[in-house]
Amino acid sequence: MDFASFAKPTNSDANSPTTDDSKTEELHFWKHVEYIENHGKDQDDYEYCMTEFLRMSGIYWGVTALDIMNQLERLDRNSIIEFIKRCQCPTTGGFAPCEGHDPHILYTLSAVQILCIYDALEQIDCEAVVKYVMSLQQHDGSFFGDRWGEVDTRFSFCAVAILTLLKKDLATTIDVEKAVQFVMSCCNQTDGGFGSKPGAESHAGLIYCCVGFLSLTHRLHLLDVDKLGWWLCERQLPSGGLNGRPEKLPDVCYSWWVLASLTIMGRLHWISADKLKQFILSCQDNETGGFADRTGNLPDIFHTLFGIGALSLLGFEGLKAINATLCMPQYVMDRLEIKPQILERP
Amino acid sequence: MHGRLKVRTTEEERERKKKEQALKVKAYKAATTKISAKRQNQEYDDEMLAYTTPILQRNPDVSTLWNIRRECILAKVKKIKEEEVTPEKEAIQEEHILQVFETEMSLTEQCLLVNPKSYNIWHHRMWLLEQSPKANWQREVMLCNKYLKMDERNFHTWDYKRYVVEKAQVPKEEELDFCTEKIKVNFSNYSSWHHRSLLLPALYPYEGDAKPKRPMSEEKLKEELEMVLTAAFTDPYDSSAWFYQRWLLGYSQPELAACAFRCSKDKTVLSFTKLTTKEDLKVVLTGDGGKTLEITDFLTLNNQVSDTIFYSKNPVEDPSMYQNLEVSSKALTSITLPLSKYNDDAYYFHALEASTTYTPDVLDQLKSQLESCESLLEYEPDSKWCLLTSALLMRAIDCQEYHDKTMEYLKKLQKVDSLRENYYKDLASKWILQKALIQWSKTDGEHMLKSIDLSQEEQLTCLTDKQYLIVADEIILSKELTKRYEGGLKSFSNI
Repeated sequence: MDFASFAKPTNSDANSPTTDDSKTEELHFWKHVEYIENHGKDQDDYEYCMTEFLRMSGIYWGVTALDIMNQLERLDRNSIIEFIKRCQCPTTGGFAPCEGHDPHILYTLSAVQILCIYDALEQIDCEAVVKYVMSLQQHDGSFFGDRWGEVDTRFSFCAVAILTLLKKDLATTIDVEKAVQFVMSCCNQTDGGFGSKPGAESHAGLIYCCVGFLSLTHRLHLLDVDKLGWWLCERQLPSGGLNGRPEKLPDVCYSWWVLASLTIMGRLHWISADKLKQFILSCQDNETGGFADRTGNLPDIFHTLFGIGALSLLGFEGLKAINATLCMPQYVMDRLEIKPQILERP
Repeated sequence: MHGRLKVRTTEEERERKKKEQALKVKAYKAATTKISAKRQNQEYDDEMLAYTTPILQRNPDVSTLWNIRRECILAKVKKIKEEEVTPEKEAIQEEHILQVFETEMSLTEQCLLVNPKSYNIWHHRMWLLEQSPKANWQREVMLCNKYLKMDERNFHTWDYKRYVVEKAQVPKEEELDFCTEKIKVNFSNYSSWHHRSLLLPALYPYEGDAKPKRPMSEEKLKEELEMVLTAAFTDPYDSSAWFYQRWLLGYSQPELAACAFRCSKDKTVLSFTKLTTKEDLKVVLTGDGGKTLEITDFLTLNNQVSDTIFYSKNPVEDPSMYQNLEVSSKALTSITLPLSKYNDDAYYFHALEASTTYTPDVLDQLKSQLESCESLLEYEPDSKWCLLTSALLMRAIDCQEYHDKTMEYLKKLQKVDSLRENYYKDLASKWILQKALIQWSKTDGEHMLKSIDLSQEEQLTCLTDKQYLIVADEIILSKELTKRYEGGLKSFSNI
């Protein structure tokens, strides 16, 4: 759940690439499996080293994508679990992205998500994690990302997602009412969407976090579904791809943020699934495997999960079902008996 | 990785790049090893700052290194403060502390030039200002203006700007002027329109009775409508201004209210205009002579936490003797609603009024906008935004009179904007149902609840507000719709 890579400058002046309707690509299933499997095998790889600061999320993206493709056994469960254990901070209880780095709520969620998929929560000190999350809530209901005080609705989502996955009663661990109030104070009257803090412009990534937060806290009735749903379906561009804000370029990761939000709100049918599928498939790298943000760009593991995840939400054949709220395989949710709220289609 | 094109390179070039990257990896690993060692020894000094600088200049996403720098700054400030000074040298001491912050501020600015979209850099700058004994907020406002000139859509800059203008106490009027200037330079700037939408309601609050409330005073609303249409017509394919226009026209969901109620001797249903929970729900029937009866044990019809329809199986003796209904809940302040009689049952029904009356000034503005849109449509009959806006304007002016024409436009939109075909279908269904419900509420009370017939509505493809229908004994739908809901649609008789 890291948006750090959103921070890279995008070339917003270029025209959006349009896919040719006549040639629908196939999913290069085995190439993607190989791409994820090989990710990190060369520890001296430049990209791999430079993304060390988000390693835990990187593993979550790879593990989840492979599980959705029913190929989880290709990764070494034990070494991943051992790595996660080494990343838990003994003082705070939170998880660092990698050894030598500081704990943060973003990587704490990733760690918990991976352990849930591996059914291995008993391997870590869960109570310490709960205390960590509780310690980050502020008087106004918001959450810090770590002890340095950055506030963002992403962290509100992370907090309730972690507690939900640990099967903790939200009402007795955090101040849910205030947490909800804070998230709703970030809701914009113009478009029904959400930004990262009160007054911030609506952004599909943050909308996913806030809608997901309301789904986990069972407060979806606070949304203006018609208004927000319209703004979200307007993210679809002629290429079939989705952007994150008006007049921006399409990007495979928004396939997830927008699509998951529409799914939770029961409005998935407001966009064209076929056109979106075409766009996502056009972003595959058919040489190396993996998905890029846009057609013709370099692939990475982040976009690979969100490409595969979005295809799963669209019911693509050969993929396991994914849960829209937590971006994890549905069977894991069933095993944990976690049922985030979703609205029905009218 | 965002926005990085995959380029074909020669074998030679690949080799060269690989070597270059291997060197970078080596340097990176060497630096992080030194940093870790120093950190273990708690050495938060100038050397530590020097080690982290080049890495952050290249890769500001490494949060831990910013944390380390914060430790360094706190340590440095602490050290300066610990030096004993004579009163006359206090100013020099403060100068030293400020210097520490200034140096760090300039590093963040160098980093921002390379990467203006890094959460870490902006947050580090905020942290510095909060810690600094003398923050120069005015300078930060200037910085934002500079960065917004380079990229007027960078939401990090906008967020930071909102934060610093408040600290610098910049008047809202000044911010509004800034916004107007930005929009004049480029209409296609959703970020500016958004910022504007926060300022106007605060500067020109609406004080009338329309519900849901208008976003701002009608006088200002009229001005804004004029401005936004000019913008929209400049480039009818740009969506930013049209979104703003739709907000001005007011398309929020209705406010929470009870909209339908029916009570028979063995069951009661209560519907609301929108989703809500039964938290603190209180439903009381009142009649002549102070007779009251509270109905309890309400459940949601969909078995979820929130719903629009609630029902109770409490027995009620002779419901038709009650005249009023009092409803309140955590989300709804108490209201009293008049009950009507239907056979032995008591009921309440209030169809949603689709348009509210504007002042003559605004109404004139809406009408002239509709004219403009219509004339543009003559030249560009397939203009999606024009079709939608025309339909919305017609609804705002008089939804009954223009009903057929708005339906025609929505049908056309399904073709010209086929990606969102189902959105327009649902919207058409919503408008059709609203009209049908108004019609239905006008039928003779003695017969009204017997049935509602929606089978002749061709464009009705879903039931967006089915909570209004729950009070009817029978809901008659077209074949297609009956199939779609496959018995999942409840009427009063099958609860």
